[in-house]
Amino acid sequence: MTLFYALLVGVAMGALIQRVRASSPAMIAQNLRLENLVVIKFMAMTIAVGMILAYLLSLITPMHFDIKPTYVVGVLVGGLVFGVGFGLGGYCPGTCVVGAGEGRKDALFALLGGVVGAFLFTLAFSSFIAPLNKLMDYGKITLADVLHLPAVGVALGLGAIFLGVVYLLPTEVKQR
Amino acid sequence: MANPATTAPTAAKLPPWAMLGAIFGVVSAASILTWGPIGVSGTYPRFVGAVLRRIVPDMAHANPYLEKMGSLIKPETFLVIGLLIGGFLASRLGGPAATNEAVHTGETTTGKRYRDAFIGGVLIVFGARIAGGCTSGHIISGITQLSVSGLIFAAGVFATGILTAKMLHKGGR
Repeated sequence: MTLFYALLVGVAMGALIQRVRASSPAMIAQNLRLENLVVIKFMAMTIAVGMILAYLLSLITPMHFDIKPTYVVGVLVGGLVFGVGFGLGGYCPGTCVVGAGEGRKDALFALLGGVVGAFLFTLAFSSFIAPLNKLMDYGKITLADVLHLPAVGVALGLGAIFLGVVYLLPTEVKQR
Repeated sequence: MANPATTAPTAAKLPPWAMLGAIFGVVSAASILTWGPIGVSGTYPRFVGAVLRRIVPDMAHANPYLEKMGSLIKPETFLVIGLLIGGFLASRLGGPAATNEAVHTGETTTGKRYRDAFIGGVLIVFGARIAGGCTSGHIISGITQLSVSGLIFAAGVFATGILTAKMLHKGGR
């Protein structure tokens, strides 16, 4: 049943990504050049609604939260490497799958690149990555742990801040 | 033509991206409720592992990372299959057309677009695996769950992502 729920979530996610044009690498590049903030605001909206809902639900039912560990150096280095690839190709590991479903040819090259990247990673893991990811490893921490506040309160507060930022940010930015 | 995305969001009439984002937020919370947070990039090494176990089993079993990631029979794999189906259905049922336009000024030929997509693909999955997640696992699910790692990853992604996209567009080649 779990696998079926995951499939359904994937279909919905793929359709939403396609409709907001996040699977268009040209759209992603416009967002990263800060000319058009549709995808960034879409993501912030997703996160705000998701966090408020997930933590409110956690008050009445057990949730399958799964916090990723904060090994600061590895997470930051990984993000910096990811950003270069994101800016260059205009795809992320999920949107290139959606793009392939839509019939985008460049998405197939991104997918192939992703498989090659994963293969190279498995070769580099023991020697380079595992030691890197031992640096500044704070484990599975959340903002609620850091602030010593109840998670529901932090989720409502941060969710409200995200919604406020989404409301205030322009969607299309006039270029000089 | 009035762009609906530029009108202020109100409860009565949300712009399309806000509506889609709100629905995605509900889907993401429903995912945490039913099986776990969404995540995509781990499926790439699991796929590599499944292939290598078939063609070079000794090498596959000697690789600690492939052993750690395990088999493809995982919810995340079905999520990725769902992405493919969702993208296909949404584009066939009246979604925006999948154009193949250049992404930067330097992409003067289709070959250069494919090259950038390929190199970009290598970097996003390599980077995501260093960090332990990608846009979905770290940024969407991570920040949704208030994880500190998601915020750090997002800061890194947007720092070099914005820099790279701006440099490639203005300079040209």
